[in-house]
Amino acid sequence: MSTSVAVGRGAAESWRALRKPLLITGVVVLVGLIVLVFSVASTSGPFSPDSTERDGARALANLLKKHGVNVQGTERLDNATEPGAGKALLIGPNGSLDRDDWQRIKAAGWSHLILIRPGARELDALAPGVKTAGPVLSLASREPDCDLSAAVKAGNVTAGGTTYSAPAGAKACYGDGINHTVIRIESGGQIVDVVGTSRSFTNSELADDGNAALALNLIGTHQELTWYLPQWESSGADDEGSDGPPLVPPDIRYIGWALAFAVLVVAVWRGRRLGPVVMERLPVIVHAAETTEGRARLYRRARAHDRAAAALRESALAQLHKAHGIPRRAEPSAVVATLAARTGWDPNTLYEALYGMPPQDDAALLHLSDVLDVLTQEVRHP
Amino acid sequence: MVLTGRAGLLAGLGVVFVALVMPSWSGVGVVIGVVFLVCLVDLLLAGSPRRLQLSREGDTAVRLGEPAAVNLLVTNPGRRIRGLLRDAWPPSAGVQDPPHKLDLPNGERRRLTTHLVPTRRGDRHADRVTIRSIGPLGFAGRQGGHQVPWTVRALPPFNSRKHLPSRLARLRELDGRTALMVRGQGTEFDSLRDYVPGDDVRSIDWRATARRGNVVLRTWRPERDRQVAIVIDSGRMSAGRVGDAPRLDHAMDAALLLAALATRAGDRVSLLACDSAVRADVRRPAPEDVLPSFVNALANVDAELVQTDFRVVVSQVLERLGQRSLIVLLTGLDPAVIEESLLPVIGPLLKRHVIVLASVADPRLTELEATRSDLIEVYNAASAARTRLDRDRVTAVLTRAGVTVVDENPDQIAPALADTYLALKKAGRL
Repeated sequence: MSTSVAVGRGAAESWRALRKPLLITGVVVLVGLIVLVFSVASTSGPFSPDSTERDGARALANLLKKHGVNVQGTERLDNATEPGAGKALLIGPNGSLDRDDWQRIKAAGWSHLILIRPGARELDALAPGVKTAGPVLSLASREPDCDLSAAVKAGNVTAGGTTYSAPAGAKACYGDGINHTVIRIESGGQIVDVVGTSRSFTNSELADDGNAALALNLIGTHQELTWYLPQWESSGADDEGSDGPPLVPPDIRYIGWALAFAVLVVAVWRGRRLGPVVMERLPVIVHAAETTEGRARLYRRARAHDRAAAALRESALAQLHKAHGIPRRAEPSAVVATLAARTGWDPNTLYEALYGMPPQDDAALLHLSDVLDVLTQEVRHP
Repeated sequence: MVLTGRAGLLAGLGVVFVALVMPSWSGVGVVIGVVFLVCLVDLLLAGSPRRLQLSREGDTAVRLGEPAAVNLLVTNPGRRIRGLLRDAWPPSAGVQDPPHKLDLPNGERRRLTTHLVPTRRGDRHADRVTIRSIGPLGFAGRQGGHQVPWTVRALPPFNSRKHLPSRLARLRELDGRTALMVRGQGTEFDSLRDYVPGDDVRSIDWRATARRGNVVLRTWRPERDRQVAIVIDSGRMSAGRVGDAPRLDHAMDAALLLAALATRAGDRVSLLACDSAVRADVRRPAPEDVLPSFVNALANVDAELVQTDFRVVVSQVLERLGQRSLIVLLTGLDPAVIEESLLPVIGPLLKRHVIVLASVADPRLTELEATRSDLIEVYNAASAARTRLDRDRVTAVLTRAGVTVVDENPDQIAPALADTYLALKKAGRL
């Protein structure tokens, strides 16, 4: 009789053992989340007010804050469609929205819109009359060449990039005389600035020429500035030309999740073993004839006809000696004579087979082996 | 925690439910919640496998190749337990049963029998007993393990015991216990008795006849109470496989037959298994205890992949044996090993004792030497011939030194060794 000892841990023990690691993990995750929430910037990417990269605009945002402008960076469309009377909205260069969204921004009634390198759809909605012009201006120090006070005060600016053609009555600056990179339109109490030279206001270029002054003069007109960076999204479900029935049923993802859960349950069911695998030391298996076969391979590789023949002859002789009662130390001639008399073989053949020269090639070795085999067979079955 | 197929089925039905009834996040939530709840309830209602009390009884030793049964007594002091019980053993213990089904109400006890047919010699220790207790709903359960130690020793099979009756008959002839009265059987003087017509006249003791006045006959009996030391080499030469078992196993078989025979003949047998260190050592057990103690000692001996140190062997044997004895050395006939390590140190033994060296020959070599149809086989035959010639040479060297060599195929080694023993006894060389 022998009695049992439970192995592994019980539920209470497992809980006690797991408590501390779980607590520590929990604290770490919580602290990490808190740090993440408080440290992460609300925006990122080119021309972001939180980005310190070369193409970011953190320097400009800080400059604006120093001059008493409250800058609020955002990537959410909702912030751009809030009522904006008495406030300024800056719209970043990238991203894409559909027409409805641009109209909603327009409808919000911002007092001052700054469009950084806008696309055609954006211009249509927010700055009617301004068109994208063909040539892209190289980055160079340029004079204002207009009567926009903000530009005149700033003086020379490192300008370049997308150019726009201004409608009549607009103030157009920093261009090649036909097309311009900075255009201001004023209509009905709303100011719209179209800025093609977005690079002038990035971290890398802001310190050059009068870039900072131009930026402050252009953008810092209102106390509240919403700095909106459009993303590649739109709130409308169907933009253009995507009507017709959907390719996959809309419910498929719920079924997918239910299926994934079912697969998980089945995996847990099938994956649990009934106890651990039992291990065992196994003995080494070496066949006793392994060394002999190894030596045969060595003979073959070295083409050791002579050694192989010697072994075969010696073995045959030992059998013949025993069978015919010939003394071990008998002379070769005596052995051959005795064997010739007993078997009736030709003495020369016998001598050649038993005491001849070692065979020179494989065929000779095979032949010798056959002869010796026949000879010893006759001894075994006379 | 374990789940069952029912839980999987429930989750599968959940997919259908989501697809047909509630294709929404709340539908998925309902399915997950229901599965979790059912499994949790089942888990909490399942009996605790850890609280079971287990104990074992049954066989502790079995001859290799024969079945053994080990019983597991399971007592349940807690809630009813339904589920599976796996009694795990190492693979070579040869467990025959699938996991046991268990249905154990509170306070009851069950006896579960595990049948083993070990496939290798040696001790087999029971591993963990794992119990899976499924809850009353059959969706989930608990799993726990118990360590219930037990050891089944697989003893050497002693297949050669079939040769024992014939050898014992020959021994009885030697002993004079048979009706035959042949003089010269055995060499030890036993007693004097009166002449009966028909006795061999050459056995008449004339001196005693003169003293007594009537014809007196000397009787003889074979030598008794001789020492037989069986030494098994458990080094690398015994590791090689001949047929389907290592040389060591064939050697053990031969040793057991010899031990059984010598014990019946009245000799004292001792056993030593040795390579670079002593692996098994049985010194002069009581006659009725010889076989049990030998098989027990040999059960856990395995061939080590080291060169046998014959100096250790010789010194161990010398230390054990006082009087003139028969030393049977079961090893391999490897010319290099015999010439370089055995012959230089065997001198002190040869001076006082009779030495028999028994070696298991490999039938594969004969086979290799006989088949010569193509070049590869001719080279194999040449190599096998060389091996055999080397063995013959070293056999001759040993015979010249005074060692009796027995070199036989695996199925013949045990009877051949027994015959050699009988021949030595008959010749009075012990």
